[in-house]
Amino acid sequence: MFRLANHPIDPAPLRRELASEDCGGFVFFEGRVRDHHEGREVTGLYYEAYRELAEKEGCRLVREIALKHGVRAAAMHATGGLVPGDLAVWVGAAAAHREEAFVACRELIDAIKARVPIWKRESYVGGSSGWVEGCACAAGHGDGRRTPSSMTSGIPTATTSSDAADSGRSTTS
Amino acid sequence: MNSALHGLLLAGGKSSRMGCDKASMVFGDDGLTQAGRALRLLRQFCGPVYLSLREGQPVPAGGEGVPVLRDAPGGQGPLAGILAAFRQARGAAWLVMACDLPLVRPGVLARLVARYAEDPLLPFVAYASALDGLPEPLCAVYGPSAFPVLGRHAARGHFCPRRILREESVPLLALPEVDTGALTNVNTPQDVAGARIGAREVRVAWFGRLAEQRGLREESVATTAKTAGEFLREMSDRHRLGLDPGVVRVAVNDEFAPDAHPLQTGDRVVFLAPFAGG
Repeated sequence: MFRLANHPIDPAPLRRELASEDCGGFVFFEGRVRDHHEGREVTGLYYEAYRELAEKEGCRLVREIALKHGVRAAAMHATGGLVPGDLAVWVGAAAAHREEAFVACRELIDAIKARVPIWKRESYVGGSSGWVEGCACAAGHGDGRRTPSSMTSGIPTATTSSDAADSGRSTTS
Repeated sequence: MNSALHGLLLAGGKSSRMGCDKASMVFGDDGLTQAGRALRLLRQFCGPVYLSLREGQPVPAGGEGVPVLRDAPGGQGPLAGILAAFRQARGAAWLVMACDLPLVRPGVLARLVARYAEDPLLPFVAYASALDGLPEPLCAVYGPSAFPVLGRHAARGHFCPRRILREESVPLLALPEVDTGALTNVNTPQDVAGARIGAREVRVAWFGRLAEQRGLREESVATTAKTAGEFLREMSDRHRLGLDPGVVRVAVNDEFAPDAHPLQTGDRVVFLAPFAGG
């Protein structure tokens, strides 16, 4: 299950859907908008998606990774204008044990960044803005090229029950 | 050929996007201007042929000596030209063609004329766009019974012929198989490059940085490119977009497409800059 929705996105339904009595490990990742990038103060982000293909490819990725690791997985991504602190992307993986859930969650967020047609425009203090371009390769190492320093600093959080964990203070994924 | 059928070449458009008079431009190897070429085509099927121009507009190159019908003041767009034609010859059927359709071949007009000959009571004989299925009013036959219908719409402030044909639920013809791109019009000098016989007409949607660079979200493009990869290079060159084929990918009909993916008329193409979700 992969969903695109206009900001603000609410991952609660996906969380409920993934949680299951046979899953003892539930890892999810929240990518949130960070207020700085490469030394510049970021005032907001604008996500634009090629919806038809993004949803198709997103669903394929979720299925692929769920199957590969034997987990339940889901993800959603926001579109439109966001400000620092807002939830941009949510990825969840639930499995019998934490190991697969961690791996699948990590793999899914990397794959979404590399393979789903979504683009991001950053606005900075002072009024300027620019499109941030990811890396064209499918290695899944997040932002590249124009923005060599990875913007990913979110840390997946796990629990040992189906009860979802706090997201912690992750920033833009 | 058919003396009852009158020809009307619509050349009154302002060509604002072309930056010069479209009707006077030469596209083909035959050295004919758009107007000259279209008039020759109309003469194959019509008795008298007229040139429709705005008030005060000079006759385009290639249209010398052809009787001119001036748009009635207060009229709007091509409808003003078509109404002026009916006022000239109320009982006539008019084969109407816009001057910016360089891909129209005789076979395209022949099918319209043949259909009208089967049923001369028809007010409209028009094609469906290969792209969106909507009526193509600027390469069509308007029978005498179309005049009151058009007048009624004009009186209500409807000046868009496409909308009128839609509202009248006109049954539409399919374009000949070999000419599905025939009604691609030419609006910019860049289009001219693609305006050759055999061109495909595709729709391009633009996203993100590329939409900004191109200054458009969506457009129809005539292209001679046969594959997705060729089309990427062509569009990059045409609009100086600097699209690196090693970095920018192509989607056709909402699916990732390899370079060799063959393009067809009606395809929806999207160029994909590196993604930056998350």
